[in-house]
Parts: sequence; C-alpha cells; structure tokens
Amino acid sequence: MIKNYFKIAWRNIMKHKVFSLINVIGLTIGLSASFVIGLMIYYDYTFDTFHKDGDRIYRVVTDFHSPQGNFNNPGVTLALEEAIKENSNFDVVSGFYQERPAKVENKAIDKVVKWPNFVIFTDANYFKIFDYKFLAGDKTNILSQPNNVVLTEKRAAEYFPNTAPNEIIGKTLVYNDSLNVTVTGVVENFKERTDFVFEEFISHPTVLQTRLREDFLNKEWANTNSSAQLLVKVSSSADLVAIQNRFDALAKEHEDEDSKKYGLTQKFVLQPLSDIHFNEAYGIYDWSKGQASRSLLTNLALVALFLLLLGCINFINLNTAQASQRAKEIGIRKTLGSSRKQLIGQFMGETFLLVVISALLSFLLSRWLINVFSDFVPEGLSFDLFKAPIIIIGIAVLLLVVTFLSGFYPAMVLSKFNAVSVLKNHLTVGDKKVKLRKFLTVFQFSIAQIFIIGTLLVGKQINFLLNKDMGFKTDAVVSVYNPRGEGEISKKEIYAEKLKAIPAIKDISLGGHAPASMSSNSSSISYVDDNNEVNTDLQFLFGDANYANLFQLEILAGRGIRNDSVKELVINETCRKKLGFTSPEEAIGKTVLMSDENIPIVGVMSDFHQRSLRSDIKPMAWRGDWYRARFSQFQAVHVSFQNNAEGNLKETLSKIESAYKTVYTDVDDYRVEFLDENIEKFYNREKRISKLLNWATGLSILISCLGLLGLVIYTTNRRVKEIGVRKVLGASLLQINTLLCKEFLVLVAVAFIIASPIAWYGIDSWLQDFAFKTSISFWVFLISGSAMIFFALLVISVKTLQAANANPVNSLRSE
Amino acid sequence: MTNTLLSLNEATRTVNSGSNKVTLLDNIDLQVKEGEFISLMGPSGSGKSTLLNCIGMLDSFTDGGYTFLGEPVHSMKEKNRSKLYKEYIGFVFQAYHLIDELNVWENIETPLLYKNVKSSERKAMVADMLDRFNIVGKKDLFPQQLSGGQQQLVGIARALIGQPKLILADEPTGNLNSKQSTEIMELFSQLNKEGVTIIQATHSEKNASYGSRIINLLDGKIVSE
Repeated sequence: MIKNYFKIAWRNIMKHKVFSLINVIGLTIGLSASFVIGLMIYYDYTFDTFHKDGDRIYRVVTDFHSPQGNFNNPGVTLALEEAIKENSNFDVVSGFYQERPAKVENKAIDKVVKWPNFVIFTDANYFKIFDYKFLAGDKTNILSQPNNVVLTEKRAAEYFPNTAPNEIIGKTLVYNDSLNVTVTGVVENFKERTDFVFEEFISHPTVLQTRLREDFLNKEWANTNSSAQLLVKVSSSADLVAIQNRFDALAKEHEDEDSKKYGLTQKFVLQPLSDIHFNEAYGIYDWSKGQASRSLLTNLALVALFLLLLGCINFINLNTAQASQRAKEIGIRKTLGSSRKQLIGQFMGETFLLVVISALLSFLLSRWLINVFSDFVPEGLSFDLFKAPIIIIGIAVLLLVVTFLSGFYPAMVLSKFNAVSVLKNHLTVGDKKVKLRKFLTVFQFSIAQIFIIGTLLVGKQINFLLNKDMGFKTDAVVSVYNPRGEGEISKKEIYAEKLKAIPAIKDISLGGHAPASMSSNSSSISYVDDNNEVNTDLQFLFGDANYANLFQLEILAGRGIRNDSVKELVINETCRKKLGFTSPEEAIGKTVLMSDENIPIVGVMSDFHQRSLRSDIKPMAWRGDWYRARFSQFQAVHVSFQNNAEGNLKETLSKIESAYKTVYTDVDDYRVEFLDENIEKFYNREKRISKLLNWATGLSILISCLGLLGLVIYTTNRRVKEIGVRKVLGASLLQINTLLCKEFLVLVAVAFIIASPIAWYGIDSWLQDFAFKTSISFWVFLISGSAMIFFALLVISVKTLQAANANPVNSLRSE
Repeated sequence: MTNTLLSLNEATRTVNSGSNKVTLLDNIDLQVKEGEFISLMGPSGSGKSTLLNCIGMLDSFTDGGYTFLGEPVHSMKEKNRSKLYKEYIGFVFQAYHLIDELNVWENIETPLLYKNVKSSERKAMVADMLDRFNIVGKKDLFPQQLSGGQQQLVGIARALIGQPKLILADEPTGNLNSKQSTEIMELFSQLNKEGVTIIQATHSEKNASYGSRIINLLDGKIVSE
C-alpha cells in the first residue's frame, strides 16, 4: 500500500513538474533556513552544558547604580571572596584573576611567547568547580604553593613542543623576565563547547610577586576590576534568596562615604553559568568570539519560521487550486473502496515525499548557506553538528510538522470530494476555497511587503548614520597607536617629529582616542554656584594643543588647550548647559571641582558625536596630559593628510609605518586606524541586520511570487476558453491581460494595506534604540508598494501574456 | 439461485435544487436475486444512474428501505457500508474511470490494496485476471495508451478482482463501437453464467436484451418490468 502511494505520488510530482518545482523551491528555502538557524540555536545553547552540577555553578558579578546610569561589571571586588568563603550556602568558592603576561619563556629551548592569552591566577577550587581531566600531575594539593602553574594540553604543546605531559611536570617557565614558575600539572582542554577558554592556571599565591601585589594585600571594597572574577558552586540545598540578602548586606556594610554622597550603589548578583554565553552586559572571556545574542537568535528563528510558513502556504495554495485535476482519481479510488482516511494518508504521503526531497536539497544548501551567513554563524559551527542525535530528532519532527502544516488541509479538501459528482463531472470548486487561497496569498505578500519596507527603512537609517555629520573631521585622518603599555611620552614625541618630515601630512596631533571611539574615560565633577551644586559625569578627550585644529573642533568661546600639562578644561556645549551656564562666554574662567582640585574652564567647544548615533551627546571635556610623569594618556599620534595627497595614500602610509619602526625598534605592535572606518564599525550590528533583511526580503519575494505564478497558471488555464471567446469577440491583448491581472493585483494591494502599519510599527520600535534617527518617510512605503506590484505584475504577465497571445482556435476547438 | 441479494422498499431520493425539491427516485420497489442480470432502461434523466449509485452505496436513498444480503443499508454507518460494498460490489463505468497515473497492472491491483490483501496473493490474483482477459501483454501500459475497448476490459477486470457478488455497470458500452460493445456484453453474459449478479444501465435495446430482466424507468419511477 505504502509503496503504491509513493509510486503514485512520484508520478504526480513528475506529471506536474512546474507545480512540484514551485513547491520544492519554497519548502527548500524554508527548510534550509530552518536547518542553519536551528543549528545556530543548538550550537549557542549547548555552551557549558556538560559540566557536572552546571545548574549550581554561578559567576558573581557586580551591578552599579548611579544617578548617571547603570553599569555592569563581570568582576567583583577582591574583598568579596574572603567574605563569603565560610557561607554554608556555597560548596565551592573560587576567585580567579585574569592577567596577560607580556612574555613567557621556556629557557631550556629558548622559546619565547609574547602576550599569551587566557592566563589566570587561581587555586585548587577552580578545579573543584570545573572537572578537568589531568593528563599529568597530582590533582590533590594542586596550585597550593606559590610559583606553580597548570597548563592545558594545547598551551603545553606551545611552550614545550613535542614533549609528553609527564615530562613537562617539574619544568620551569619564566614570566615577564623575573618570575620563575614550575609546571605541576597538565590538563586536557575541554572537548565540548565552552566559554571557559583558559589555558594557563598560575597558583594564586604567586600573584604577590607581581604588579598586583598591592591590590591583593589591601583588598578594597570600593575597587572593582573586571579581571577579578568569582565563581561559586552553591550547595544543593542552597537558598538563593538568602545568598542575595547576604550579598546586599555586604554591599551595604562596605559602602563608602563617596558612594553615599553621589548616590552610587553596588549590588552583587549571581549569574547562572547558562547565562554567561548570552549576556552581553557581562561578556565572555574570549572577546574575539563575539557573543551570542538571544535577540538575534530570536529574530533569526522568526525569519526561518516565516520562510517556512511561506513555503507551506504555497503548498496549500497550489494543491487546493489543483484539486479538481485530482478529483477524478479521488472519485475512482472511493468507488474502489478507499476510505477517506486512506485517501488522507495517501495525500499526506505525497506531501511527505515532497518535503523529504526538499529536505535533502536543503542539506546540500545548508553547507553553502553556512558560508553565506558567516557574519551570523558562529565560527566553531560546522556541518558535523547535523550528526547530533537531538538535531536528527529535531529535523525529523520538523519534517513531520511541515508535512502536516502543508499537507493536512489540501488532503482534507481533496478527500472530501463526493465520488458521484466527481465522476459525473459535476465538480464545483466552492467559493470558500477560493477565499482561503486569496487569504493565504494576501498573508504571503504581507510578509514579503513587511520585509521590503523594513529593508528600505533599515537601509535608510544606516545611510543616515554613516552620512550624518559627526561634528568633526572624519575623513583622511589616521591614528597610529603606540605600543601597548608604553607610558613614556618621549618616543611619541620623537615619532611625531619624524612624521613632520612627510610632505603629504597636513597636521599632526598627539592625543588619546579620536573624538569618536568605543572607549571612554570619565570622572565625576561638581560645580558649585552661589547657592546650588551640580554634579555630573564628564568624559575626557585627551589631546595636545593641535588636537582641535586637526579634528576641526569648533571653539565657541575662550580658547583651546595651550599646554599639555597645565590643568585646564575645554568643555562641550552639553556640559556647559548641564552646569547651568546660559552662554558659552559665561562658562569661561569658572572652575569645576574634580578629585578635590579646582580646574578652570578655559574654552567651550561645539557639540559633536562621541559615539555611535545610538547614544546621546554626553558632557565632555578636552584636556591635556596632566599625569604624564606617571603614565601618559597620549596613546596615539593622529595624522591628517593634505587634500591632494589622496593618490599616493599607500605610499604615505608605508612612510608612516617605516617611521614607526625607526622609533620603536624593539616591539612589533604597529596599529593604525582610519577614523572613517572606525566610525563605520560602530554600525556593524546594523549592517548585519540589513544583510539579514536583504536575504529575508529576497527569499520571501521569491517564494511569494512563485506561489503567485502557480495560482496564475492554474487560473489562466481554467479560463482558456473564456479568453478564446473574448478574443474572438474582439478583445485586445492589453484588455485580456488587464482582466487576468486585476484580481491578483487587488490581493497585492490588500497585502500592502495590511503590511504598512505593521512594518511602520516594527521599524519605529527598532529606531527607538537610536538617539538620532532618520524619518520614516512616506515615499519609502510608496516605493516598496510599487516594487511589490512590479514584481507581482512581472510574474503574472509571464503567464497571462502567453495565454492572451494564444490562438483562440486552439482553445475553442478542444471543447 | 433463490437467495435475495438486495431489496428496495419504497426507496426514494430527493435533492434540493435551489428552492425546488426534485425527486430523482420515486418509491422504487425492487427485489434482486442472486444470479440475475438486470438491464435498467429509460431516457436520460430517468434515474438509471442514480439508482445504480444508490444501490452501489455511493449515494444514499433519502427515504425508504434498502436491504443488502439481509442487512439494512439505510440505517448503517458509513464505515460498515464501505466495508459492505468493498466486499460485494464492483463498478464499471461508461468513461472507464481508470486512474491515469497507474498502469494496467496497478489499476487492477488497487481494489485489493483497499481490502488489505497480501502482496503475494495480490500478484497471483492480478496475474490470473490479466490472463483471463488476455491483456497480459498490456500490463505495463498506461490508460492513455489503450483503446476504449481495452480500457473497458481493464475496468471490468478491476471490478471483478475483488470477487464481488454484484457488478453495477453504468452504460458500460456507451463510449465503444459496436464490435467492442458486443465483446463486452458477451463477457458480461459469460460472467453472469459464472454466478455474478449484474445490474446494467443502458440505452441500447440490443444490450438490454443480454439481461434476464429488463426494468424501464421514467422520471424516477419503475414503469414496467
């Protein structure tokens, strides 16, 4: 029986090649998207799920609340570990400190590794929380002594190439030229997906021999560093509310005077292990990986769902439209004794066959899609994940659901036919079914329309973001950063001097970051008027006297910085308003209180955007390099080019680099950034959304138009006789085409009316993230509506023109 | 040969056409004994096909009693009714109504699938039937590749494969030329002699004469036997 069904299903598919192709294309697109996106969701949700008692492992993080806003820090104060160690709610408390050594040496073979990453100071408790497999070394008493280190297999292979783990034990590594450390263990890297990517575990007491000594000897409650991490494993009977209460009490108890004064509170929070991979507020340890985003995954899942729905709708539409062609077969089968249930089974079987064909195609496509969507697909995701049992089960379930969604309704319709009327050709396709098909078509086109409007508006916003005047010079400016950790000013000055010799360079300025950047440095200041006091957070822009000139910052009143080391500020308009001065001139000569020092305001500059246009303009001040003696804040040399130097930019850049090499001879850390490229990077997320929308739009238009084509082919074929008669009566090609197109265009128009407000609402809420936004213009809707009608008309005309062109003699004779 | 196969008692079928109530079959009383070969005659619209469909349980009477092999069909549930006609009734149509997507072998096999006959048994039965109708050589052809007469042969073979007690034939030769008609009617009479009860609807006096009993219908009523 089953064999018979599949046989007839296959023959039917082959007989109606166009319809089958449309169905398969629609379903394949939907399924491919679902497969890839399903894999991504699976991939991201299986991070750190393999740890024993993973649901009891938490990271303690800190949330700061202040009148200026809330800040999240993945670290906690070093003092907290001591304070909760004895609490019975915790099975294990393990603090660790992330610190990147400048270099590590294996003197025995003269192997030097610079800036190794993922190095932490920790103790045996870390290995109680996470169960590492020890390849060598004794797990008991591990890391209890100073100057011990445990390496992962991978890191060990780097320091001690071609050495067995057992032989590495007892060998010595030298950190930062001075710290001799003995390897006491080698552990296996986690095989499963994990965010705990640490490779090198130095025993905790060793920290006292490093620059961090003071921090660890005097653990201050007021000092929070994101490198100081705290993991806990709560006991199985732990009372999470009691833990939180204890945290709150500790925070309250150790609140200092300044915090009270400025309304700053800190709150310790338990972050579940499963949250670490997703929560952008606290981040993960490997920054280069880019964090998984629940909202992105949700959006992707929605896209997949819509594409799949569109495919299913095509199926329903085409199959119910084609029903009359199958009617005879159904009638015969009924007279031969088939029950309705058996017929439904048969049609579901046919649907399933198509779905399986689509699924097989989708597997092939997924491979390619994973590459196309590399911006979204996490790096470690590979095709092999398809082998995971849960994925296989998931796919099987998905296929069944899709089969049911697309096949059930047509099966019900088809199997309902009355055998007698079918065989006597009394079949009438009810009005109801036509209505349903119209409804579904409208649904499809609404989705496509929403995507089109969304794409255009997101594109418009991105265009707006990129072209909006930032308020300072952004083009033809590069910043060369000095080697990391270089606190001296002298070499930078020498370098700047050397650059002056390059003729293509117009201006040079030593400074911190450019006026707009991802980083910020701020402090709170207060201004005391005759009767009231204003407190505000003030961001700093470090730059020498030429900084404003180079970036073309406009000075509204007063003057710029004259000297790098004189303590004076040039504030921006926002800060001026915040402090309550009515005009720029009024601010000149006033002083603000900053860390118990009175600093004079010598100038006011106009506002410019310090960050992406998502955020507002904040109070900001341009200042010099006041603490140069200790550590210079001038980390970069900013360079602007002559206007006519465009042509040999490459040559100039290589000159800039070679000048760098003559100054910094012993380090290899050349970093150059183009300001306009940096600003573009602010909007990477928006660009990704735009790319996703482009794809979703293209695919949804494709699927919807294919479905429309199917319906048009069907309807036109049924009206061949009518067309013939009309032609004989003298109708022109255009008249017939209009007649045929009209009913479909009405559907597209209805879809537009439905889609517009939904798209408007969606985009409007998306734009709320931006402090500066483009307008949602009327013309965008007009264009997208026209585009949709254009596409629909194109598709419809392919068939209707052919039908209208046909010789009426042929169509009339066959009757 | 005296068993009653089916009996109709004041069987009536009315349908609503718009606001009018149309009586298609009007108080039909009919007894059919096993082994009979009945020809239903009458002009178009006299109710021949409707009567056949109702007897074949594709349609149902709206009023009156219908007993098939002693079982009251009119008060049966759909499921039992379907079981009954699957078991005992075969149909032959004027337009053959073969399934276009299936070849000759598969068309003949289909009723067996619905009766859940085992594969090996099905093969034997279909082979037997092909043999009997001399169409072994055509078993892999599709309906469009056959002449009308050949298609009707397949249709009859398909009706017979389930070994029914009753064959209902609605103008079985209506689309055939006279030579093919004669062949088909000869076949029916042969089958009748083998014990199959046949009810056919026909326009042709000649074909009707093959039957053992002729019933004339007019406007849904039996006017003469």
